[in-house]
Amino acid sequence: MTFRLTCPVCGPRDVYEFRYGGPERGPRPDQEDLDPEAHFRWAQFRMTRPEAQEEWWYHAGGCGVWFSTVRNPATNREETS
Amino acid sequence: MSVFRPGFLELGRLWETKPLERNYEVVIVGGGIHGLATAYYLAKEHGIRDVAVLEREYIGFGGSGRNTAIVRANQRTQENVRLYDEGLKLWPVLTDELDFNLMFYNCGNLNLAHSEAAVSSFRLAINTANFYGVRSELLDPQQCKEVVPALDISDRPKHPIQAGMYHPPGGVVRHDAVVWGLAKGASAHGVAIHQGVGVEGIDVDGGRITGVRTSEGRIGCDKLGIMAGGYGTAVCAMLDIELPVNPLTIQAMVTQPLKPFLHHVVSSGAYHVYANQTLKGEIATGAHMDPQVNYTTDVTAYYFKHQAEALTDFMPCLKDVRFLRIWAGLADMTPDMAPILDGNFAYDGLYLDVGWGYFGFKSGPITGKYMADFIAREEAPEILRPFALRRFLENRYMGETATAMKYGQWD
Repeated sequence: MTFRLTCPVCGPRDVYEFRYGGPERGPRPDQEDLDPEAHFRWAQFRMTRPEAQEEWWYHAGGCGVWFSTVRNPATNREETS
Repeated sequence: MSVFRPGFLELGRLWETKPLERNYEVVIVGGGIHGLATAYYLAKEHGIRDVAVLEREYIGFGGSGRNTAIVRANQRTQENVRLYDEGLKLWPVLTDELDFNLMFYNCGNLNLAHSEAAVSSFRLAINTANFYGVRSELLDPQQCKEVVPALDISDRPKHPIQAGMYHPPGGVVRHDAVVWGLAKGASAHGVAIHQGVGVEGIDVDGGRITGVRTSEGRIGCDKLGIMAGGYGTAVCAMLDIELPVNPLTIQAMVTQPLKPFLHHVVSSGAYHVYANQTLKGEIATGAHMDPQVNYTTDVTAYYFKHQAEALTDFMPCLKDVRFLRIWAGLADMTPDMAPILDGNFAYDGLYLDVGWGYFGFKSGPITGKYMADFIAREEAPEILRPFALRRFLENRYMGETATAMKYGQWD
């Protein structure tokens, strides 16, 4: 089954209206003296636990806002606190 | 008197159910093709029989029983072509060795190009394949039509066909038969297969793997192989190991059975579709992936629509044909579309076989053969060395795709 994500502007909408922006991974490291390993670790290394995580989404098929929400990869559903 | 040979109708279990011991030399997490093949070769080739395969559900529950059964060896990079070519040649050998019909049908694969760029990438892949002695050739649209008469090669489709990459030695293999055959072979060589045993934690001591905590209690081991397909990232997370892998849901479906008309595997990157006609007559077809990481096997109407639109655009004879079933599995995608095969990594005794994306089926037995060698000798076989995790940290992606990947997150 498909599911809905809550856009902060448009409200709950079908997930296929959105683009996935990945989990929240903290601030981009300082580019001064940044070696490829440190950059790669920040950009690509993940620990996808089967539990709720904060992540970014983009409402590409709607209002165009970027927002973060909490979704659980174990259930593939948004979790509202 | 029976007309059958003695034993003909005495159908027994293909593999033995053994009691769960408290200690094994090698524990393998994941009772799919990779795990079972590794266990099989550990016992058969290396004499390591004190091996347990732990499967949370039932063997073949995951990607091994959910893929679209397609096999081929026309990858783009030399490291991959070598491995997949050996893998392709292994199917008939295994059929014989396991004394179990894997239903390998080398009907050939036709991959379609719909743009200048795609044709160029085909040329590169074909040259690499031919260099390594793998049959692969470029077809013009008329030749594609001769191979697959159902194709519409006019300029009417949204993405008109510009060329095809035809790979005669590829085809399909019955994926359940591979799971059952390997389980039969592994069990016959002494491997213990435990279904319904889920791993909940991994014990380490002083930088060494010492055992796993499971739903059936603790099990000690010297060596641990994580071969859990799309769930591998979740198992690695138990050790706080981060990986450049996104587990994504990928959907597949079959139509109602039709008279035989599609005699080859047909695929198209632009349409995000691959299809073959099964022996029952159904068109089995796989789709693109949902972009968000998740461990469910959710299916969506979105992909029924997508597949119907795509298939009927370049094979219009499929209009009005109905889909019968849809299912989903996991694809653990890496940034360079190549797997991560590593050993004694992070902890002594830890072996990783993850990140196959949607290539885990075609590569299964051959990878198991080499991972068994890796585990037995504690040294990476030469053919697996390019797949170490380290490549990412050294900024060396494998060039498996012609363009940068856009799977997973959008950034």
